[in-house]
Amino acid sequence: MDDSLETTRREGTHLLVRAGEYACALPLAAVRRVVRALTVHPLPGAEGELEGLAEFGGEPLPVLNLARLVNAPPGANPAYPVTVVAWAGPAAARETIGLSADAALEVVHVPVDAVVAGDGGLLLGEAPVGGEVIRVLNLEALGREA
Amino acid sequence: MEAESTTAGRAGEHTENALLGWILVVGLTLVGYLLLSLGASAGGPAWPRHAFLVLGAAGVIAYGLWVFPHFRRLERRLPEGQAGWEKQEAELLVAFEQLGAGDLVRALEHTRDLPERLAKISEAASEALSKLAQQIQDSSIQVASAADAVNEIAAELASGSSEQAASVVEITAAMEELARTASQIAENASRQAALASQAEASGEAGSAAVYEAVAGVEEVQKRISAIANRADALGTRSKEIYRVLDLITEIAQETHILSLNAAIEAAAAGADGRRFSVVAEEVRHLAQRSQESVESVRNLLDEFSSSIRATIVATEEGSKEASRVLERARVAAAAIEELRQASGDTSRVAQQISLATQQQNSASDEVVMTLREVSLVVQRMTGGLKNLSSTADRLNTLGLEIQLLAQSFHLESPRSLKHLVEGWAKQLEQVAETTERERILDELVRNAPFVELGYLMGLDGSTQVLSFNQDLLNERQRALAAEVRKTDVRTRPWFKAVARHWRTTLIPPYESMQNSEACFTVCTPLRNGDGSTSAVLGIDINVTGWTRI
Repeated sequence: MDDSLETTRREGTHLLVRAGEYACALPLAAVRRVVRALTVHPLPGAEGELEGLAEFGGEPLPVLNLARLVNAPPGANPAYPVTVVAWAGPAAARETIGLSADAALEVVHVPVDAVVAGDGGLLLGEAPVGGEVIRVLNLEALGREA
Repeated sequence: MEAESTTAGRAGEHTENALLGWILVVGLTLVGYLLLSLGASAGGPAWPRHAFLVLGAAGVIAYGLWVFPHFRRLERRLPEGQAGWEKQEAELLVAFEQLGAGDLVRALEHTRDLPERLAKISEAASEALSKLAQQIQDSSIQVASAADAVNEIAAELASGSSEQAASVVEITAAMEELARTASQIAENASRQAALASQAEASGEAGSAAVYEAVAGVEEVQKRISAIANRADALGTRSKEIYRVLDLITEIAQETHILSLNAAIEAAAAGADGRRFSVVAEEVRHLAQRSQESVESVRNLLDEFSSSIRATIVATEEGSKEASRVLERARVAAAAIEELRQASGDTSRVAQQISLATQQQNSASDEVVMTLREVSLVVQRMTGGLKNLSSTADRLNTLGLEIQLLAQSFHLESPRSLKHLVEGWAKQLEQVAETTERERILDELVRNAPFVELGYLMGLDGSTQVLSFNQDLLNERQRALAAEVRKTDVRTRPWFKAVARHWRTTLIPPYESMQNSEACFTVCTPLRNGDGSTSAVLGIDINVTGWTRI
């Protein structure tokens, strides 16, 4: 599994999703599954990017709002919102989380050298894809920030 | 003396006649005795002649003893009786003379000394004549008044008839105008009836056309309703298509997500999953194309739905418009039907008006004919009334003449003008002063509304007193009357008439010098204490005022 992740990172294959007005690229190796937006049960006292808990595969799944994570301005009303089930956190202590996005667009290849470095955290960098600047995210950093 | 000698001569003549009668009786007795003696010598008895002789002798003695002295007494009383008879004859003559002059009052005074029976007869005759004259006076006044009234009425009626005739002429003209108008109305009514019939026929045609239009609009409405139903059905189907599209979209999304998951799995498979990732990519492309196709179909369907909605709206508006048109058409049909019925009624009424006006025209013609006849009758009546007026004038004149004739009698009546003027004369005879006489005469004239003028004239022709009736004569007329002071009244006919016998006289009517109205004069002499005439009192009587009285 670690190999595939590394491979994916190297090869630069990402899942492109829409979060608000931003297009965000998630490393395909960190993505476990894309499902239609799961029913989220808000947690009492929860705030910020945590929307609540959903049920996935019989297990509770914390769901984070991706648009809030990347501070994206709100976009149009999504027609088919999705929940991206992914691993987050460092490879040694990764956890499965859900990221709610407005739409799952496609699988794209983002060359590493095309990525302009970001803040070193969740936002790995930005890269132009198809005439649009996308935000390349580093989900491993998500666990650390959390 | 001559009368007494005549009376004595007549008494001796009667005594001689009585003596001759006695001698005649003696002679007749002797002649009878001789004749009886001659009869007895023929052999008859002698006692009849002796008896005749005795009776004759007794008769002669009785005549001598009774008749002759009686005659002697009568002869002695005869002059006295003769004087009485002559006095009575004189009174009777005076009475008849007064009667002949129409003075029944004085005639009656002169019959009082006649023998009682004759006096009663004369008094009764005078009273009867007085009553007759008085009745004639009253009747003549009434006749004159009635004639005057008839004259006034006839004049009013004649005036009214003239106005009536003029009115009838005007009415006739108006009726003729009415008849002409009725003809025009009848003609117009006939035209109106024809026009109304045409309008009724046009109304029927219009009503049929409107009913056809209504039917057409109803059919259009049905069609529009069918279109609306179809459009509605299409809308329903469009919704189903939308649901299908939604389903396809959902499937495409699911496919898209599936392809993404496949790509994820292929990536996870590493080199082994490379081929699978290609398939996943193809599937994602397929899902994307499906979604794009769905979007195209959705867009087309949106346009289609929009068109259908527009169609539905249009059909609804068309249906509403058709309903409005239908309603209006029905209202128009009802109005046309009412108009047609009204035209029919108008036609019938116009025909009735035409008929009625034709009848009115005929009636107007008859009325015009009748009015012309009435006009002729009124004209004849007007002529007759004028004749009646002139007849009444003549009757009035006759009544006045009768009145004057009756007034020629002096009656013991307040209506007798001679009696009136003599009464005034007696009052004036009581005083000698002229001023007092003037005052009395003024008062008398003022209380007699029919007297225009009263005057007292001296025997020398001078005017002593002149009194005017203020109500009958105005100032100018009084000034005219005062002109008499400048004249010698002895030359006037009325003065001459009085002076002829110095008795109360009535002068026939003449035109008044003052006011040109008919008047007549009654005048009487004023006596002094010795019976001589001192002045003449005259009053001018207004005929109209007198007849009114």
